[in-house]
Amino acid sequence: MIEAVVVLGGLGLVAALGLSLASLRFRVEVDPRVEAIEAVLPGANCGACGYAGCSAFARALAGGEAPPNACIPGGPEVARAVAEILGVEAADVARRLAVVHCGGTRDAAPDKGIYQGVPDCRAAVLVGGGPKLCPYGCLGLGTCERVCPFHAIRVGPDGIPRVDRQRCTGCGKCVGTCPKELIELLPEDNRVHVRCANPLRGKAVGAVCSRGCIGCRRCEKACPFGAMAMDGALARIDPAPCTSCGVCATVCPTGAIEDLVEVRYRARIDAEACIGCTKCARVCPVDAISGEKKKPHAVDPDRCVGCGRCAGECPKGAIGRGELLVRAPREAAG
Amino acid sequence: MAELGLLFVSSVLVNNFVLSRFLGICPFLGVSKRTETAVGMSLAVLFVMTVSSVVTWFIQRLVLGPLGLEYLQTIAFILVIAALVQLVEMVVQYTSPALHQALGIFLPLITTNCAVLGLAVLNVQKGHSFVQTVVFSVGAALGFGLALVLFSGIRERVAVADVPRPFQGTAIALVTAGLLSLAFMGFAGLVK
Amino acid sequence: MRGARTFRRGGVHPPEEKHHTAGKPVEGAPLPERLVVPLSQHIGAPARPLVKKGDRVLGGQAIGEPVGFVSAPVHAPTSGKVRRVEPAPHPLGTPQPAVEIEVDGEDAWGEPMEPFDDPFGADPEAVRSRIQAAGIVGMGGATFPTHVKLSPPPELSIDTVILNGAECEPYLTADHRLMVEAPGAVIKGLGVILGLFGLERGYIGVEENKPDAIEALEREARASGFAEVVPLKVKYPQGAEKQLIQTITGREVPSGALPMAVGAVVQNVGTAAAIWEAVSRGRPLVERVVTVTGAGVREPRNLLVRVGTPVGHLVALCGGLAGEPGKVILGGPMMGLTQHTLDVPAIKGTSGVLVLPREAVRTAPEGPCIRCGRCVEACPMGLSPTTLRALIHADLVAEADEWGALDCIECGSCSFVCPAFVALVQSIRYAKGRVMALRRGG
Repeated sequence: MIEAVVVLGGLGLVAALGLSLASLRFRVEVDPRVEAIEAVLPGANCGACGYAGCSAFARALAGGEAPPNACIPGGPEVARAVAEILGVEAADVARRLAVVHCGGTRDAAPDKGIYQGVPDCRAAVLVGGGPKLCPYGCLGLGTCERVCPFHAIRVGPDGIPRVDRQRCTGCGKCVGTCPKELIELLPEDNRVHVRCANPLRGKAVGAVCSRGCIGCRRCEKACPFGAMAMDGALARIDPAPCTSCGVCATVCPTGAIEDLVEVRYRARIDAEACIGCTKCARVCPVDAISGEKKKPHAVDPDRCVGCGRCAGECPKGAIGRGELLVRAPREAAG
Repeated sequence: MAELGLLFVSSVLVNNFVLSRFLGICPFLGVSKRTETAVGMSLAVLFVMTVSSVVTWFIQRLVLGPLGLEYLQTIAFILVIAALVQLVEMVVQYTSPALHQALGIFLPLITTNCAVLGLAVLNVQKGHSFVQTVVFSVGAALGFGLALVLFSGIRERVAVADVPRPFQGTAIALVTAGLLSLAFMGFAGLVK
Repeated sequence: MRGARTFRRGGVHPPEEKHHTAGKPVEGAPLPERLVVPLSQHIGAPARPLVKKGDRVLGGQAIGEPVGFVSAPVHAPTSGKVRRVEPAPHPLGTPQPAVEIEVDGEDAWGEPMEPFDDPFGADPEAVRSRIQAAGIVGMGGATFPTHVKLSPPPELSIDTVILNGAECEPYLTADHRLMVEAPGAVIKGLGVILGLFGLERGYIGVEENKPDAIEALEREARASGFAEVVPLKVKYPQGAEKQLIQTITGREVPSGALPMAVGAVVQNVGTAAAIWEAVSRGRPLVERVVTVTGAGVREPRNLLVRVGTPVGHLVALCGGLAGEPGKVILGGPMMGLTQHTLDVPAIKGTSGVLVLPREAVRTAPEGPCIRCGRCVEACPMGLSPTTLRALIHADLVAEADEWGALDCIECGSCSFVCPAFVALVQSIRYAKGRVMALRRGG
């Protein structure tokens, strides 16, 4: 019995001694924070931070080279956790989601001919600009779907991609992949988008797609917030002033503007709080508010489009949510 | 001399530790995706296998045997192997952080690699002399490396092939390993 | 033919199909009502327009100026009025800036550029300037600005000039007819090029399926004293410049390098004839021989066509379409560009219009690669197309670079022989784009 203990103990001691000496000889400096950071990162290796993977990002963070909020899929929680480990402040990053600027479904935007080749958009674009007749439109071969690490973008049976806004983390991988440069990262709150990238006007667009922007500018005139910035004959929504009121989508003749907001409310003025300053009536883009000066004002529910401008202007906070204004969300495909 | 040669060929090809004895499958499948990591792992294992079998031979012959403590064989051997693996890990991390990163968890897992312990135990079971132990161990390690490198070469090609959905990943790797094992059965009659 | 040579590696033998037009002399095509002249008919920066809507232009007048060195001017092919300057359909498939001219039918021309007194011995810089001013680009189809090709860096010495009369693409006979009917212009063009490099002897490679062309050129060659006609075996892609150089000189252009690295310069016979026109008569490049052929047109012909002529007009001149077209290709069937409309102009590099009827088009969706190795056998550059394809579809861009993706000349031999209809050339072209992006640091 005693021999067993001595033998094993002796072996153990020898090993321990040897390893201790070796650990001194082969010392390697490893920052313990790197492991701690790696543990809080999502581990998807998507590259949105700009580094080759979560490990590389962790090392850069520990080395003070990367900002703690660079992990976009991780969002503010990860940024805070990383900042805590590093002992620094983390600035907030607004969540941005991918938006596809093309609504040219198979029915709306025909192909030039039968395409038989590599089923990848980046390869298909090498063949005469791709199979779609519209030179600016989505080729629908699903390359964006394949590169998305979060399975957040899918090409539907109608031939154009749709973004799952719950899953999308704004990592931006799809943006660089689309050979037609149709995908853009826009703030989460912007839920009304122009789904067209064709800069030509009128007939030239109509000849290649029935849902394209023809440059009629009706949206520009209708926008209560001046958020429509026309790029020649192509409508573009400026995300900063845009409040996603959806008025532009209702006036677009071709359905080129998608409106993803499902629920809006009409305005309702609290007659007791209203002081009749008429500010709301003046800013209402659809003239839905009536009332005399110094007397309580009222909103005409039939005209109100739920843009919320009046509520923003009221100095007494007297305008709140009234009835539901339901407009079916208008997506690019029927 | 010829006998030693036969012993060597037997441990490398005929009774290949991975493909005939089915030992050490974990690193075989784990690091064989790329030939670089396969070679790195093979060298690490070569070192551990050879040194551990020599050291354990001494311990068996000089300590455990004479003291009648053969029952401590497993624990004692594992202790030696664990210490050696720890040493190897330190050295690899020091000399090539990239390889250390690439091998990852599989480096310390050499400790639990049944091929290493299996080799040590086999040497004892077969009653090999010192020289025989060395030759057998080097052969075993080389055989392990051979299997690993061969397999990684095939896996690199499979990685760019159009593998049917149900077979992708580990499945096709195992099928390939099985086929490679079958191929090595061809060496069966080489040594009597 | 006794002594006909060919290149060492790879190559395929597609059916020649040249009998439809090989014996038909070139006919002048009557002018269409309008010409759509693209501002980009060449590799390099598109030309900048020099005219605007409403301007009147004369034949030969410059309507687009080059932008930078690797660029070429564009000229009005006939007289008329500029209807618009805006993007128009282009053989490349997407609309490109173009000058649309309403043809007035008078074909009035302005003053030509000054003809050279001694074209063979003139100052090389003056000759190069003239070549650029005439808007001459590679007429074999590549449309690389010729003055750039003829201006190698001073460190490289050129000792071999080869004219490419191989015309290895099936169906096409434009170069063939040019060599038979205007061998003098071709040989003299060679003389001008030799003068640029101070050389005394040049070669013209011609595939042996054109015995009348070989004979006509040999006569002129003997008279000139500085040209040698080299008969070549019929094998595709004999007309690819690296293969042509290897066949005639034995030298192999190293991977990643240009012909000038082995001291050679290759020009298409049409380009040589255009050079002669520019230098001896001061005319810019505004027309070329185009073979309109294929079972999809009723009367295949060789036509002398003004640049900018809509292809539909050419097809009408050839009796119109014979039934429903399956494929319309500008160029040859191996490397030509498929079109989706006939409302696209012929440009400087358009050697042919090939209309294949529905029944003749045999395609299928890609099948799995069966590792038969035919593509490896066929590749004239010694690449492994199947490996390149597998690598790029597995996103292994650096490996694709190592396997020589950028050396591919896109000749189409691999796709031609593949029994599984694998889109090999497309995959490799895609790989090239990714490799170049990677090399740039992307």
